[in-house]
Amino acid sequence: MTVCDRLPAAPSCVFWFIAIAALQITGSLSADEAFLQDVAPIFEQKCVHCHSGSEPEGDLSLQTRSDLVDGGYIDTEAPADSVLLQILQPTDGRAEMPKDADPLSAKEIAAVRRWIERGAPWPDDVTLEASQVDDFDWWSWRPLKRPEVPSLQDPRIQTPIDQFILRALRERGLDFSEPADRRTLIRRVTFDLIGLPPTPEEVERFVADQDPRAWEKLVDRLLTSPHYGERQARRWLDVVRYADTHGYDKDKPRSNAWPYRDYVIRSFNEDRPYSRFVQEQIAGDVLFPGTPDGILGLGFLAAGPWDFIGHVEVPETKYDGMVARNLDRDEFVSGTFNTFCSVTVQCARCHNHKFDPITQEHYYGLQAIFAAVDRADRPWNIDSDTAQRREELTSRLTDLKKKDARLEDQIAERAGPELARIQKTIAALQAEMKVTQEPQFGYHTAFASRQDSEKWVEVALDDPVDIDRIVLRPCHDDFGGIGAGFGFPVRFRIEVRSDGTWHTVSDHTRTDFPNPGLRPVVVSAAGITGDRVRIVASRLADRRGVYIMALAELQVLRPDGTNAARGAAVTALDSIEAPVRWSRENLTDGRWPTAGTDEQAQQLEQALAARETLLQTDQIARLQEQQRSLRRSIQELQAELRALPPFRMVYAAATRFKKQGQFRPTLGQPRTIRVLQRGDVRRPQQAAVPGFFPLNENDAFRLPPDMPEGERRAALARWLTDPNHPLVWRSIVNRIWQSHFGTGIVATPNDFGRMGALPTHPELLDWLAVEFRDSGQSIRALHRMIVTSYVYRQTSAIREDAARTDRSNRFLWRMPRRRLEAEEIRDAMLAVSGALNRKQGGPGFHLFVLEKTEHSPHYEYHKFDPADPASHRRSIYRFIVRSQPHPWMTTLDCADSSQSTPQRSETLTSLQALSLLNNDFVLHMARLFAHRTERHADSLPEQVDRAVRLALQRSPTDAEHAAFLEYARRHGLQNLCRVLMNLSEFLYLD
Amino acid sequence: MNERRDFLKQSGVGIGSIALTMMMQEEAAATNGALSALHHPPRAKRVIQLFMAGAASHIDLWDHKPMLDRHHGEPSDFGEPVEAFQNGLGPWMKSPFAFSPYGACGKPLSEVVAPLGECVDDIAFIHNMVGKTGVHSQATYLQTTGFQRPGFPGMGAWVSYALGAINRNLPTFVVLPDHRGYASNGPRNWAAAFLPASSQGTVIFPQRANPIADLQAHADFVTPEAHRDGLDLLNRMNRQYQQTRPGDSRLEARIQAYELAAQMQLSAPEALDISGEPEHILKMYGLDRAGSTWPDTINAPEETEYFGRKCLIARRLLERGVRFIQIWSGNDNGFPRRNWDSHEDLERDHGPLARGMAVGTAALLKDLKQRGLLEDTVVHWTTEFGRLPSSQRGRGRDHNPYVFTNWLCGGGVQGGITCGESDEWGYKPLDRSSPTQVYDVHATILHLLGIDHTRLTVRHDGIDRRLTDVHGHVLHDLLA
Repeated sequence: MTVCDRLPAAPSCVFWFIAIAALQITGSLSADEAFLQDVAPIFEQKCVHCHSGSEPEGDLSLQTRSDLVDGGYIDTEAPADSVLLQILQPTDGRAEMPKDADPLSAKEIAAVRRWIERGAPWPDDVTLEASQVDDFDWWSWRPLKRPEVPSLQDPRIQTPIDQFILRALRERGLDFSEPADRRTLIRRVTFDLIGLPPTPEEVERFVADQDPRAWEKLVDRLLTSPHYGERQARRWLDVVRYADTHGYDKDKPRSNAWPYRDYVIRSFNEDRPYSRFVQEQIAGDVLFPGTPDGILGLGFLAAGPWDFIGHVEVPETKYDGMVARNLDRDEFVSGTFNTFCSVTVQCARCHNHKFDPITQEHYYGLQAIFAAVDRADRPWNIDSDTAQRREELTSRLTDLKKKDARLEDQIAERAGPELARIQKTIAALQAEMKVTQEPQFGYHTAFASRQDSEKWVEVALDDPVDIDRIVLRPCHDDFGGIGAGFGFPVRFRIEVRSDGTWHTVSDHTRTDFPNPGLRPVVVSAAGITGDRVRIVASRLADRRGVYIMALAELQVLRPDGTNAARGAAVTALDSIEAPVRWSRENLTDGRWPTAGTDEQAQQLEQALAARETLLQTDQIARLQEQQRSLRRSIQELQAELRALPPFRMVYAAATRFKKQGQFRPTLGQPRTIRVLQRGDVRRPQQAAVPGFFPLNENDAFRLPPDMPEGERRAALARWLTDPNHPLVWRSIVNRIWQSHFGTGIVATPNDFGRMGALPTHPELLDWLAVEFRDSGQSIRALHRMIVTSYVYRQTSAIREDAARTDRSNRFLWRMPRRRLEAEEIRDAMLAVSGALNRKQGGPGFHLFVLEKTEHSPHYEYHKFDPADPASHRRSIYRFIVRSQPHPWMTTLDCADSSQSTPQRSETLTSLQALSLLNNDFVLHMARLFAHRTERHADSLPEQVDRAVRLALQRSPTDAEHAAFLEYARRHGLQNLCRVLMNLSEFLYLD
Repeated sequence: MNERRDFLKQSGVGIGSIALTMMMQEEAAATNGALSALHHPPRAKRVIQLFMAGAASHIDLWDHKPMLDRHHGEPSDFGEPVEAFQNGLGPWMKSPFAFSPYGACGKPLSEVVAPLGECVDDIAFIHNMVGKTGVHSQATYLQTTGFQRPGFPGMGAWVSYALGAINRNLPTFVVLPDHRGYASNGPRNWAAAFLPASSQGTVIFPQRANPIADLQAHADFVTPEAHRDGLDLLNRMNRQYQQTRPGDSRLEARIQAYELAAQMQLSAPEALDISGEPEHILKMYGLDRAGSTWPDTINAPEETEYFGRKCLIARRLLERGVRFIQIWSGNDNGFPRRNWDSHEDLERDHGPLARGMAVGTAALLKDLKQRGLLEDTVVHWTTEFGRLPSSQRGRGRDHNPYVFTNWLCGGGVQGGITCGESDEWGYKPLDRSSPTQVYDVHATILHLLGIDHTRLTVRHDGIDRRLTDVHGHVLHDLLA
């Protein structure tokens, strides 16, 4: 409510400030006071969301008293008869109002009744507003300051982290556990940092390493392994909801999503400073133009689900289309702020956030930042040099085209208004003359890499014929937007064989022949008798970077007009032979594309001729000569552009892309975003101004309303990486911490708001955040500091004394034991069986058979053969189907790409046991694993020993060896390997 | 018991051994749900949900509209602008199927669902269901999960989570998809989302060589003896691992999971094996024509065979203690049509789909009733939305999210009634101010199971999530 001052005291209600504010202005009237204390908060929390603004629901505003009185909702004479009370009174647990929500409590209704009984007083200066939280005094919103590092003296302390942890332990009468043994440590840290098991040899080397820096050396080796990025990227992709299909209905493949996945892997491997990493993912195109990663990073915004039907089949003007787009922007907003700020902004889509200081207005301001953005394939250059070169050439090309246009204008000016009229006629005719053609396009040479390669095609007539004229019919093919005149040679000659001698009847080999479009090129050959006609191209047509000749039809007309070439045999130097469109026979099949009626064609002919005549003056000829030279330069530039490494595509945030059905690019023009009452597209309110949610009472959150698209995202990227941002730095260090200890210092990694968990070690969190921010923002350095700390090197054994104080180990008196994640299990099976192909990057490999791709693709996992070696790669590279996640991985608690998964769950089910025992992949790995150990050692006892050391990174005890050996003797090594991959010890990390 | 689930969700946090001890005890007692006690006495213990993918027409199956017979072929006029999904605002179109009254209640049903005439006195129809969107995917999510976007648990997952298994030797929540494949959204419709993975639906394709994925090992080297001895060896080794790591109850739970898995390997094939069913039962479910082959287009014998088989298996699973079963009719939105999305020709697609569905469903209801199982089983028939009373290109119908039909039957449901009518055209609810929404149906089903829908919540990303979001009212008129 807008009132004068605020009071300090607070009722227990979350919305305390409203009630308090109310008390302040009341003055002496106790009825007013009662209203402000008891009734106004009810209205603000339950009613004003809808009943406010210029177009309140039911034409009733509850912001002031007047509508209630004017509408006859309250009857102060007979209070019990008041319509308002009837509306609020529930029957069968359901009341007319609040609509579609729980009814008011009896106590609340009584308060409203008492208020009406007292004459429904309402101070004139009080206007109610939908309730909102405006208290910024919450740990995560408080400014970030570097806390003092404690200075405990303890020989075990390795890093400042240990100082904070040990202090917190001692405060609770706890202490560190013993250090873990080296085999446990190398297994733990190898999985944690690269997601793979160590080899037996690596274990032996580390266990035997006498160097006091043996641990640091191991850690550094892992942190610089190319597999480090693969492991870290998986966690990031969990949070951002990465998948290789759209999700929803007709779950179509997103074949260009993977370059973003590879970008994330590379970013970790190159240890990109975090602010750069953030900025690239929000506005890399604006802030780092010309860099590949500036585009690839934008895959972040596009990573989540996308409703194909809601965008492609339903227009933005329909409600269903509006809903789809509103939800899509919500994905941008929630994805960005959950990921980088750990704030649940999406709660403010339908109403002001109930717990954190974020209003609907703020929320739609965030949507407005992304108002011009959609998800689509977007081109990127393979490297910065190419980008720069393309940029230069494109810019020069634009200049030349402008010059060309100016020349065109000058010519037009000289030629007078008559030219303009003729041009208009030509344009109109060309527009009217729709192309009709049959599936048989014509004859098409093979591709040449040089334009001046010579190509020929020849028609053999049955008998010598008296020729009157020869007609060439050009082709039409929309390929590359070329259309009419496709493949028509630029320079050529026409030859006729007469009595065994070739005669040139038409020679266009010295100057370029203007492209005829679809008009026939007619050459007189009167008086010649011949039996062969040949077209020799000496300068080929450009087919977007390769060179060809294509002709729809060649006619050899007798004086009576009949065509002697119809059905004649065709030979040629070469031919692309891609029937039905392209084949030699098509040249004499009597089929060619036409445009418009004969009459129109004639009119066009005349208009073109008239234009030619009009342009026949010296001055104009000079200008035309200039223009020709200019156009040659343009062609050269275009050729150079085509010679550059081609654009690649990444599925990313985009404003320019190929239109698809109803899904059209904004071209950077932001849509108008309105605040939506209750999040309903049918109830638009005022236009939202792009901006951020405020971080403190004095924070201005608005951007200029007319700020261009890219600038909005750039502003957001800068805001997110501001050194003083209280949320961003805490959020990322908490995620990295969680990746080692299973739980973050804040146990709710996507929610640092009032509904989230409180930090267990607030000072450590802040120290890590400041240290990270101020010393290079290196995630690798943060990992190094964490894993070289003593706290990470403790054993995972449970000490009953410590457990009595802190059973859930929130204060880390031991290292938590964890089960491997789905990807780690799969990768570990591949690794120990020797099947793992360590190839990095590229399109995702399939773990399914893809069927019925033309409409709604079917992803058939049960038809896939796990022996396919193309699938024996790390799980990060698998093609992730959003609507049909891999069943086996899902059973093992793999992340669901339909939602942000900041933390994997760890469940235990009998179906999991069946998956690990019986899945075809596991059985195949057991085969390969057995085969590998058989190759390694001759005797079964040695093979058993080897298998155990590969699977568990330790030698079996004598008793274990005996048991395993006996089983292997009876049932073979393959069965033993199957058992080994089901051992708790295989699946858990101490 | 929320702590237990929370604990399970947080990997490696530490060992809530008290909670786990309780879990062990509960699992022994085969009541392993998150609710330690029901909120009120239940009327039912189990649920069967029948989902017609593609949007089944209310006015051609359950909700007879004589007005359409009278005004057939006249230009349609809805009295207000209508947004059709495609262009289905052609003339009014009467149903191609004849309606006749059935049962003591005299409920008119379409000829294509006539077999259900014997059951109408047990069924409560809701003809004033309204949706939020005419887009299949979102609408399917809304009906299956209560939210129109991905990322939320299906109703079966919520029920599994809340109540747990009745028989731990079988999955708690079973899904029987259309034999042609998944409907819109695929397995996301029965996903656990943010609930524990154990609450997700387990898919069974009865006609496949391996009806349940990974139930058995298919490798020449895994002989029954190797499997049995392997489980023994595993048990010993995992036991040893567990005993040297005291206090971590997950390790004990793993050992138990393998024991349960072995039991499920025995129980599940038995449950799916209908060869011992007597002749008259097979006939009732329409399964007396085994071995037929089918054309590419939708046809009644094929629908009857596959839907009937799923219904019979559902009954067997229910008898053996499966908590929640979801049966699908209809594949995704492809061509040629393979679901209820009859834009082109309603008679061609709805006819056979409905006949097949009705034979199996009627058999299931009667069979459950004669075995006394209908008393504590809720059966729910639903679809993503309805179809418009106007025609689309002559013979088809476009989407109608503005009104459609659901029905409930069984434990705690009053039969032979209609709660909520559509208007005389079947275009919108008769009383537009009080429609029924999916939240109300979900709230009612939970209510019948003894669950207060407002109190079954799970904190996820800072929000206390529930099946009914912030909505939902129990449909008291529908309760027996």
